Amino acid sequence: MTTAPVPNPLECRHLREDELLRLYCHHRDRGEDERAAEMWRQLAIRSHDRVVAMARAFRFPGGGRLDPEDAADAAQEAFLRVVEMGASFAGSALGQFRAALRQCVQHACLDHGRRELRHERRRAGSLDERYDGAADAGPFDAAIARHSVEQAQLAAEAEADDERRRVRSELVAWAIGQIRNDNYRAVLELTYVERLSADEIASRLGITPDNVYARRSRGLRQLETILRDHRA
Amino acid sequence: MTTERERVLSDFIDAWNAGRRPDVDAHLRRVDAAERDVLADEIASFLTWAPDPEYDDAALVALTADAVAALAQAGAAEPGSWWSAWLPLLRRRAALTRAQLADRLGERLGLAAATRPKAERYLGDLEEGRLDPAGLSAGLLDSLAGALGIGASVLHQAARGRAASAPLFRGDDVAPDAAADLDVLADALTTQVPQDWDEIDVLFRGGNSA
Repeated sequence: MTTAPVPNPLECRHLREDELLRLYCHHRDRGEDERAAEMWRQLAIRSHDRVVAMARAFRFPGGGRLDPEDAADAAQEAFLRVVEMGASFAGSALGQFRAALRQCVQHACLDHGRRELRHERRRAGSLDERYDGAADAGPFDAAIARHSVEQAQLAAEAEADDERRRVRSELVAWAIGQIRNDNYRAVLELTYVERLSADEIASRLGITPDNVYARRSRGLRQLETILRDHRA
Repeated sequence: MTTERERVLSDFIDAWNAGRRPDVDAHLRRVDAAERDVLADEIASFLTWAPDPEYDDAALVALTADAVAALAQAGAAEPGSWWSAWLPLLRRRAALTRAQLADRLGERLGLAAATRPKAERYLGDLEEGRLDPAGLSAGLLDSLAGALGIGASVLHQAARGRAASAPLFRGDDVAPDAAADLDVLADALTTQVPQDWDEIDVLFRGGNSA
């Protein structure tokens, strides 16, 4: 049996996150644990800033945030969880990976909150009462499930343009497509898919930068609602 | 009307997408206290689904150093397994074979060319978990960090394990076995170097005293 070589990390610099994930899944599914672990490490490194930033932006379900020092500790713990998740991650789609990342961050931050409660430095009541993120169920599961069904249908259609199929296959691109307001949807597509800056979007759409700021913010809230609302 | 919060969110998004590694706290501080929670939620939503940033090589190197440092500081694993997991990756990221890394160390430490195959063997032992990293000398760690292009403190923390990591010295986070770890370090510091060791043995096995 021939096996795919592990890419040199220098080459990995130029691999997209979804390509790293695909390589991880490839090796994991073949039982090539060492290679899968190396791919996961690359993926974890690539996600480090995202994890840290999400921990710093984290808010408790009942309100309030960790102070900066605790947020830094929680970020570190969340990153460790992400690294360790490589041994058990069963998903294969980028959306699943991202949802899992967010869950790692939320659990790490909540655990820090619990420790703070134990030390009586925080008096916000029970965190568990207000958090519905059980270890095996995430807030985006229903959206991921619906997206998976639609992707299975899409895969059945022959499509020549691999890049277009890749973009369309991502959970966030799918969710943006569900936004009804044309203005919000256009701005989010250019933000997430084409990664244009606010000025570039304003120029492309012939609107003011202020309009871009407002549509990004409002569209983002609708996107979050769509990804959270599709519960089975 | 566009609010300042919406403008700051957009700034964050643009900085993220461009790979400029924006600081969340700095952005939150730019809005009124009453708006910070909403902005934090919006940033969290964005980040969950945000595209992979356009990192340039310098940003990726910095990102890698931060990620590896986070693991070293946290004592993510036993010191030996940390090295076997991360040293090969750091070495390959620096585009070096083991032999080339041994050469770089030799150049930095002023070692004779004839000693480099032995240094290469030690590097192999380290990568494969057969060498106790507590024995790595401070000079070797500094040179290794320089050759790999990462901060020396990362490797020092990784080599000394949990007992040397900064979080352990903060209030109630002190691990119950920290005292025992410090005893082990103290023993290592006072251990006599065997007479038949050469300079490579001392560098890789002599610990802090080397």
